[in-house]
This record gives sequence, C-alpha cells and structure tokens, in this order.
Amino acid sequence: MKNPLRKRIKREIFGEIGKYLAVFLFMLLSIGFISGFLVAASSMKTAYDNSFEKYNIEDGNFSLAAKADDTLISDIEKEGVKLYELFYNEEPATVGKDDNEATIRIFRDRNDIDLICVMDGKMPQNDDEIALDRMFADNNGISTGDEITVGDVKLKVSGLVALSDYSALFSDNNEIMFDAVKFSVAIVTDSRFDKFGDDHETFCYGWKYDKEPSDDKEEKNMSDDFMKALASKAPLTNYIPRYQNQAINFTGDDIGGDRSLMIALLYIIIAIMAFVFAVTINHTIDREASVIGTLRASGYTKGELVRHYLAPPMIVSLVAAVVGNILGYTIFKNVAADMYYGSYSLPTYVTIWNAQAFILTTVVPLVIMLIINVISLNSKFKISPLRFIRHDISRHKRKKAVKLPHFKFFTRFRIRVVFQNIPNFIVLFVGMLFTCVLLLFGMMMLPLLEHQKKETLSNMISNYQYILKAPVDTDTADAEKYSAGSYKYDGDELTVYGISEDSIYFKEGAVKDGVAISDCMADKYRLEVGDKIKLSEEYADNEYEFTVDKIVKYPSSVVVFMEQSRFNEAFDKNADYYTGYFSNAGIKDIDDKYIASCITEEDLTKVTRQLEVSMGNMFYLFYIFAVIMAALLIYLLTKLVLEKNANSISMVKILGYENGEIARLYLLATTWVVAISTVISIAASTFIIKVIYRPMMSSMSGWLILWYDKNIYWKMFLIIMATYVVVALLQFRKIKKIPMDQALKNVE
Amino acid sequence: MFLEIRDLRKSYGEGENKVDVLRGINFEVEKGEICVLLGPSGSGKSTLLNIIGGIDNADGGYVAIDGEKTANMNEKVLTAYRRKHLGYVFQMYNLIPNLNVKENIEVGAYLSDRPLDIDDLLHTLGLYEHRHKLPGQLSGGQQQRTSIGRAIVKNPDILLCDEPTGALDYNTSKEILKLIEDVNHKYGNTVIMVTHNDAIKNMADRVIKLRDGAIRKDYRNETKIPAQDLDW
Repeated sequence: MKNPLRKRIKREIFGEIGKYLAVFLFMLLSIGFISGFLVAASSMKTAYDNSFEKYNIEDGNFSLAAKADDTLISDIEKEGVKLYELFYNEEPATVGKDDNEATIRIFRDRNDIDLICVMDGKMPQNDDEIALDRMFADNNGISTGDEITVGDVKLKVSGLVALSDYSALFSDNNEIMFDAVKFSVAIVTDSRFDKFGDDHETFCYGWKYDKEPSDDKEEKNMSDDFMKALASKAPLTNYIPRYQNQAINFTGDDIGGDRSLMIALLYIIIAIMAFVFAVTINHTIDREASVIGTLRASGYTKGELVRHYLAPPMIVSLVAAVVGNILGYTIFKNVAADMYYGSYSLPTYVTIWNAQAFILTTVVPLVIMLIINVISLNSKFKISPLRFIRHDISRHKRKKAVKLPHFKFFTRFRIRVVFQNIPNFIVLFVGMLFTCVLLLFGMMMLPLLEHQKKETLSNMISNYQYILKAPVDTDTADAEKYSAGSYKYDGDELTVYGISEDSIYFKEGAVKDGVAISDCMADKYRLEVGDKIKLSEEYADNEYEFTVDKIVKYPSSVVVFMEQSRFNEAFDKNADYYTGYFSNAGIKDIDDKYIASCITEEDLTKVTRQLEVSMGNMFYLFYIFAVIMAALLIYLLTKLVLEKNANSISMVKILGYENGEIARLYLLATTWVVAISTVISIAASTFIIKVIYRPMMSSMSGWLILWYDKNIYWKMFLIIMATYVVVALLQFRKIKKIPMDQALKNVE
Repeated sequence: MFLEIRDLRKSYGEGENKVDVLRGINFEVEKGEICVLLGPSGSGKSTLLNIIGGIDNADGGYVAIDGEKTANMNEKVLTAYRRKHLGYVFQMYNLIPNLNVKENIEVGAYLSDRPLDIDDLLHTLGLYEHRHKLPGQLSGGQQQRTSIGRAIVKNPDILLCDEPTGALDYNTSKEILKLIEDVNHKYGNTVIMVTHNDAIKNMADRVIKLRDGAIRKDYRNETKIPAQDLDW
C-alpha cells in the first residue's frame, strides 16, 4: 500500500497555491536564466574557441612605420613565421539616423588569416559598398542596405560581418575597454581600399608561426624572441602577440567569466528560498502538531514524516529546475546570447547540450533545498510524540516571558510579536541583505559610470591630446609638448607622461622628485605617497623604480606623471624628446600623416559609454530582480506571521479590536523589522559591495574608482518600503478576512 | 498475562517542585478485555496511558506487552512497537484536514501488514455514506468515529483511548462508547480507556481507579452492562 499521506501533498500545494506559485516562479526564472546563461556561454565559448581554427586567427600582429619590402619580409619570415598583410586605413565616419560620429578601421577582404564571418547580407562587391561590423551596426541602428559616410565618400552597407580578430572592438590594445559604439572595423574591395590613399594607412602584418607553440609558456617565449629579432630588423610601431591581443582574447576571457558569480547568485537565491520553505514548513508543523503527534503515536516513523513534509518544497524545486532548464535552453539562452552579441562581435554559434550546466542548475539546487530542509525538519522532529500532541513544540522553550520596560501596551504587544517570530525575521533579514546587495549593485553602476564620465571630463588635461608618429612643430598657440610611453606595472600596461615644468595644462603632474600617480592608479593598486613603484618596458627587460610623491586627480586612467626632462632622462630619451601635444584648440598645421591619434573627450569617456551600452540592461535586470525578491520575501514572511497569529487575531476581534488596530499590532511589528532590516542591510550591502568590487574589477586592465551616489540610499529605502506597503495592504485584506469564530473553533 | 505493569513510577520537576505523578502502579490486563482507568484530573491516568503507549517514559518499573518490556526499547524499536501493537484515540480527533474520511482511515491502514477491510470498517463505523467528506464537513461524533477507524483499521492488539468522549455530548458519547465496545467484540482488541466519567466503568471488564498517582481500587466488573445502556 502506498503511503496515503502522499495524497495530501498535491492538496497542500494547491491549497497554498499563491505561496508555492510565487516561490516556484521565482525559482523558475532564476534557474531558467542561469541555465540559459550557462548554455549560451558554453555554446558561444565553444564557437569562439573553434573560431581560432575555423577562421585561422593570427598568432600575432605588428605594425611598421613603413611598408616592408620583399627583402625585409623574407628576412623576417626566416624567424620561423609566415607574414600576411593586414593593412588598414582609419577614417572618420558619419553613421546612422542621428549622423553619429565614429572611427572606422577599414581592411581589404582576407583570404588567408583572420577570416570573416558574414552575419547578414554579403561581402562588398563594388567600390561603393562596405561590410560593417555587426555589433557596431546594431549599436548605431544601421542595417544592410543603409548608407554611411566614410571620410567624404558615401558607401552602401552590403552586409554585416564579424572579424575573427576583432570579437571585441578594441581600437587600441592598451585601452581599458573596447568601444563598439564609436569604433568599427569594416571591409571594402581592394580598389576602394586603394582609393583611400596612404595618409591614414597602418602597415600592419599578421603572422602565423611555422611551428605552432605547444603551450602558453612556449608561445610567450617564441613571441619574446620574435619581437627582439623583429625590433632589430625594422622600426616597430606596434607589436601584439595573440595572447596579449585584447581584441581577440577579451571576449574569450569574458564569456563565461561571470559564470562563478552567476552560479553563486543562483545558489544564494535557492538557499534563501530553502530557508523560506523551512520556516513555512515549521509553521505548518506547529499548526499540525497534534495530528503529527497522533501519527507518531500510531507508529509513523520520523523519517516517514520528514519525507512527507519535505515533498512540497522538493516537488516545487524539481519542477522549477526541470521547466527552468527547458526555458533556459529555449528562451533564456537567446536572452543571454543577445547579451553577448550586444557586447561582442561574435560569429554564429550552435547550441550545445551542457551536462555540467544541467547538473549545476538542477541537481545542485535540489541538493541545497534538500540539505537545508532535512536539517530543519530533523531538528523539528527531534521532540517526542507526546510534546507534539501537547503542542509543546518549541525546542528552546522559554521558561519565563522576557521582561519588557513599561512601554505602552501596543508597543509591548508588538515587541512580543517580534520575539515570537524571530526565525521568520532572521530569514527576512538575510533575504533583505542579499536583496540590498543586488539592488545596490543594480542602482549604483549607472550613476557611478555617469560620475566617472563627469570626473573624467572635468579633469581632462586638455581638450585635445595629439599623439604624433614623429616629432613635428606647430604654431598653434598654447599647444604644449609632452613625452609619453607605455610601460608595465604589476603585469598591466600603463602610460607614463612627462609634463612640461611650466605646464599650463597639468602643472601638478610635473613632479621633479619621484612621480605623481593618478588617483585611479592609487586606488587600483592601493598605493600611497612614499610607496615605491617598479615600471618595466613592454618590449625590453629594463626596469625603472620611482617613489610616489603625489597622488593627483585623474580618474580616467591608470597613469604616472613626472616632469618632462626627468622623463626623457629616466627613460633614456633625448633632452628635446616629445611624443605629442596637449592643446585646448585643434591643431591645424600638422599634416594628418604625422598624427597617430588625437584623444578627445569622446575617447576618454569610451569606457563608461561602452559599459553603459553593454551592461546597462544587466544593471536594470539586477534592479528588477531585487525588487521582485524583496516583494516575495516580505509577502511570504509577513503572511506567515499573520497565519501564525490567526487565532489570536480572531480572539482580539472577539474582544472588540478593530481591523485597523489589529493591523497596528501585527503589521506594524513587521514594519519595524522590515524598516530596520532594510537600514542595516543597506549599510551592510555598501560594505559587501566594497569587498567584492575589487576582485570583480581586477580583470579590467583599467580601473573605475568605487563611488556611491548618496541619493541611492534613500531611493533604495523608499523602493523597499513602497514594496512593503503594497504587501502590507494585501495582508491587511487578509486580517479583515480572518473570522471571529476561528479562535473558538480551534481551541484545543 | 497480555499486558503487565509493574511498580511504574513517574515524577515531574526536581527538588521541592517534584511532583510524583505515578507512585508504583501494578496491574495486569488480559487479552480482549476492556479496561477503564478512572480518576479525576491530575490522578495520573493519562500519564499511565502514555507510558503504556510508549510515547512517555517511566522513571521506574516497566510495561510489558506479551512479555516484551517497552523500557528496553530504543526510539526506533519503540516506534515499530507502536506501529505493530497500538492504536490511539484522543479526546481531540486530530484528523488530517485535507484528507477525506476514507483517506484518514487509510493513514492508519498503511501502518499494518494485516489491515482490516476499510469499506467493511466504514460500515461498522457508520461512516460509509460520509467516506468522501473532509473532516471539516463532519460532526464531532463523526470525526471521533473516523479517528477510532484510523486507530482500529490496523487491527492493533491494544486500543488506547484517552478521554474519547471528553469533547462530545451525551448521546454522541454513548454512540462512541458503543462503537468501541462493538470493535472490541468484533475484532477482539484489548481496550484501555482513560476517563473521568464514573458511569463508563460499567461497560468495562476491568476497572482501575486512580487518585494522586496511585491505584485506589482495582477490580473485575462482574455486573458489566452494554454501552448503550449506560446513563449519567
């Protein structure tokens, strides 16, 4: 005979359908989204990994100041490599309906290495056609067939493509962040390419090793050897081995990079839901104590009853996990894939069954749910059948009531309600803490980016910062020479500036003894005045040690400043060496061909802009998710407080209390707890974010200084309390519905 | 001797607050007898019943059923003992609210290797017509019948009844007592019934009167009358 108790499991679930449905939907969405994320990430990562072979991605690229002749090429190829031309022209462009300004790096079609995946339309066939990067096109609202202006020619977009060596659109490998809003790569026909002329042409060569390195270490050694050999043969302007190429590797590092965070997020959610179930079941057991006592007295074992009460949460979790995974593979996978396609210029992918993702989103949540509830139920069922029958089921029985000060009656009553519901309120508090971390993260990032943008702009050295290919004089008034170079600190690349002693733009950077570092750098590496920093050259073994003399406000990047003559001396340059100009006015008298690039406010705000574009929706997702979670927790746990006290509420109704007064007794007690939990959680979440922010940001080569908009705090408080008010109104309706005869019927 | 109770002692509290609830109880019950434990509130009769039922422990002495002493059993064995030998009926019916009458009885049947036929039992209980109703749709008497059905369906050796009519009116009480009597006749279970109602002793084969934790009277009822003829 099957256990007849199982018949009530279905009835229990459907009898409390509101509660179970709410938890089910929440778990379904969480599991569905994380499952979809894991499936999309692993499928896309596989597509990305395969792309190295499929699209024959380079082993590295370098640029020369001038085009290499055949002799030089064959000389270089003697170093065990095969070279391929990847020449490009960078042109300003006007794109989209709003005539957005952008820079487009234009290549010829490739047939050997770094092949192209056509995502829509076709490759350009005529001189008036261009194939644009798919993601840049999306970000600027450009479709196949649209027209864009490149330089001063109008070109028709023949198709949207993904270049295998530009899955992340980094215009410069030293940038903190790629820029898929104002920078694109594109393909034109050979004849169109030639028409652009060579003013802005970069003589970039991709290479493949004749013998592939066997591992990362060998790859690095081969790359270092090749660079030294190359530098001795020709003047290098750029050298990027594949393993250092952010445009190629950033995507691979990032896809699934949030995996651990996402999985941790899911498990925390499941654990909170498990605790919600645990306190709910405890309440059910309290309510059914005498029935349980009778069943135990009749011979039902502890195990049979534990299994019985365990069934509803396990069934709800199992269905949520299975359906969540189905939704993960169908709907949420696309959502997650779109998020990646919204950030990266990836080729097409095929969905791959991911057994590990299935285990992580099905088995592990079920195990978490099982462990938490089994521990809770076992502890509950430790008491004897007789105590169940007598309703004497508190494990830590308080012998005497806690003595309270002489508060007003209502206040003392509410304090007693709080004491009575401490386990519920602990779960509520833990849930609120987690909710506040999510909410704070969701709410802080966009203002942080906006703040960073403002700070960057207000601390710009000059409106224009020209980087020259070779020293050229200018008559532009107020143009100020500076020296700069890329060096490495702690494995990361940074820029060192030499600032003129009598600088009109950034005098505080012209430090004679020691160096000044940007506040961004000080924050990232936790450096203070007096600390020593060791810089090393990128393509050589030389090391330079400096003492931090000053920390200056320059939030946009990790930068070291010193006086220009010291720079030139320290880095073994000529006394009159310089690499560019600071200027508040545009420099008109230097030929474009001598200008490597010009940094404007658009460039400096690239990081924040790109993060806003690719992460903005994610932040809102966190925000919405946190609000739903807060509503759910408050609803379930206040519901429990009212259910627990239904008899007492009924009794005080009989005594003549009005609904409003009852709400003041029971709901106000919960209001206190919610308000206090929220305030503590907001403070604690600020601390928690501070702790997790550093490891979260450490993968970025740049840095964003943690900053909170103070207005967020009261907004968070108001959002949670507004959510609470909605729930409280629903609960007030419940109080009104509790009949007066309930107390009389249930007296035992 | 089927049920043997020897020098059973139980007290609550310590030191000056110590209260002796049972002070060396001795008696035996034969198989198939109806034994009534009679006494006022606080006399120790429910504690005695709970110790017999293995849901409370004695401080001294023992309870033996068919020679098996319950004090020597660990919790697991004790649960199996209750499962195999005992049926419980309480003053409050403690039915499962979202199972109907038949299903509530099945809850008892599940525990036994040799359960009674449920439909037959439902007829005996007079509940066949109500078998699809939930407890909330039943009168107090019907709910108590159901709880007796749940206890008896597993055909226990001993049916333990703790004030089974305590929450019922006169007529319904008599109906329930008659039912217990019928069940005893039909299935031959030993019945141990705790009550403070003096009139109920008249339907018993054996009467044990308790006061202040000790047996004041223990006698075989030679003038047993049917439950339906009881009056109080």
